[in-house]
Amino acid sequence: MRDRILESKALSYSVAIFVLSLMMMPIYWTVVTAFKPDTETYVFPPVYFPSNPTFEPFRLLFESYPFMDYVANSLIVTVSTTLIVTLISMMAAYGISLYPFRGGKLMLLFLLATRIIPPLSLLLPFYLVVSYFGLVDTVLSMIIANIYLTYPFAVLIMKAFFDNFPREIIESAIVDGCSRTGALFRIVLPVGAPGIASAGIITFLWTWNEFIYAFVFTSTPKAQPVTVGSFDAIGDVFVHWNQMCAGALVAALPGIIFVFVAQKYLIAGLTSGAVKA
Amino acid sequence: MNASTGSAGRFRLANPRYGLLLNIPGLLIVLLWVVFPALLLFAVSFLRFDNVNPVSFVGFGNYQRLWNSRVFAVSVERVLVFSLGSTALTALGGLVLAMCLSNVRKGGGLLRSLMIIPWAVPAVVSGLIWKWMFSPDFGVLSDLLMKARLIAKPLSIYSDPSLAMWGVIIVDSWTRIPFMGIILLAAILSIPDQIHEAARVDGADTVKRFLYVTLPMIRGPLLIGLMITTIFSFRTIDLIIPLTAGGPGRATYVLGYYIWDQITKSLNFGLGAAAGVVLFLITSLITVVFVYLLREK
Repeated sequence: MRDRILESKALSYSVAIFVLSLMMMPIYWTVVTAFKPDTETYVFPPVYFPSNPTFEPFRLLFESYPFMDYVANSLIVTVSTTLIVTLISMMAAYGISLYPFRGGKLMLLFLLATRIIPPLSLLLPFYLVVSYFGLVDTVLSMIIANIYLTYPFAVLIMKAFFDNFPREIIESAIVDGCSRTGALFRIVLPVGAPGIASAGIITFLWTWNEFIYAFVFTSTPKAQPVTVGSFDAIGDVFVHWNQMCAGALVAALPGIIFVFVAQKYLIAGLTSGAVKA
Repeated sequence: MNASTGSAGRFRLANPRYGLLLNIPGLLIVLLWVVFPALLLFAVSFLRFDNVNPVSFVGFGNYQRLWNSRVFAVSVERVLVFSLGSTALTALGGLVLAMCLSNVRKGGGLLRSLMIIPWAVPAVVSGLIWKWMFSPDFGVLSDLLMKARLIAKPLSIYSDPSLAMWGVIIVDSWTRIPFMGIILLAAILSIPDQIHEAARVDGADTVKRFLYVTLPMIRGPLLIGLMITTIFSFRTIDLIIPLTAGGPGRATYVLGYYIWDQITKSLNFGLGAAAGVVLFLITSLITVVFVYLLREK
């Protein structure tokens, strides 16, 4: 009897829904607050269901902060990093997986080991290099940093995918007169798209969500990304919580969208990059 | 580690030179982006490098200063508490969710998406929105706990040191449960049904099968999840910065925050680099322990 309860779908659903409701509370609260007028924001006990939702916090946010610039900077940094990292890591993983060379295994091990180095430790050397080259407060400085932050994991994810890629397909293509590089772009790319998409999406999100390096490297809206911008919103003496929540939503939007649109790729990437590598 | 060929067998057109050629850009990234900064970090840690004195070589001087610094000792102690608490809570939450989600069909995709969301939110934003929920004046958490009659008056993590540590631990595990849940769910789903069936035939009940079938079968992924959670929480500061800024007092002043302060406030780069090396060494040590556990069958 006890076993039947423990293994029942009803119990699994109840526990999962209970735990997930707790975990969704911050998200719900952010969304609700972002659409509240001041009168419903600064009250205790708080208002759980706003009676007259408004876009006012968003309007004020974009008016009082250069939030459009933040979004643009984030987009430039994220898209550039993702393109660079995806291309280079795809080549590297294709090479390591299908054309083994001496030192290839060692390099893979090294890439795995770089994940142990705390990015926080390398923040200082990176900052010294960036300021030496006069790149402080540029989007380029963040692209450079994010390449370091995302490249190793991207290779590990893609390598796991290429390892399971049927060799015969590439072999027959090459026998049919396709070059090895041609095989990568014409055959591996389309068929191995899930692996590449996984690595690309995770690179995109990590770069978009990065804060520490961006905070140290940038100081003006000329280069500051959304994460730094939304942090600035609480730097004031008086915190506009509803505007802060509006900013938080903008910053969290790509992540939330990808979770629903590309959940399969996210899960595949995170598990293969972490476990199989 | 299946490094060379995967399940698909040997590749007849192997060509080491081409493989190496493809890896040249990646090698450059590794050398310029990882090896060089790492060497630079070690080099700077042996320098007196602040915004007052001229730069000079001081040998292990910075490390000596760290050794004698009370603030540094506190930060190491704080990060141990933080990391341990966060990893334990993450493992518990991840395991419970993974067990439940492995047993559901309908709506499983949606539940999985919901589980991942906290992972996808920028950590600094997590810190910001939890700061709002923890607000002593208008905080929703205080209200909920008061409605549940668990507390009598609004609580403030900004004045109570032990509450503050709990606060950052909860927020950190909130961001880490998704990853733990994902890899444990994948591990649980990959256990062949026959094994559970066989155990059932042998008379093992649900609890026994969890302890003697499921847990041993997911040992590897669980250890990897624990390892990643531990070393990542050791370096977490992006949610502590907005949430408590290391306070109140030094209640949440973790090792990472010490490094952060040296780089952004005290501008003592030599000391910051030495602390960065210490952080690196501690996480390496943790990794070695976990790798040892993973090898042991």
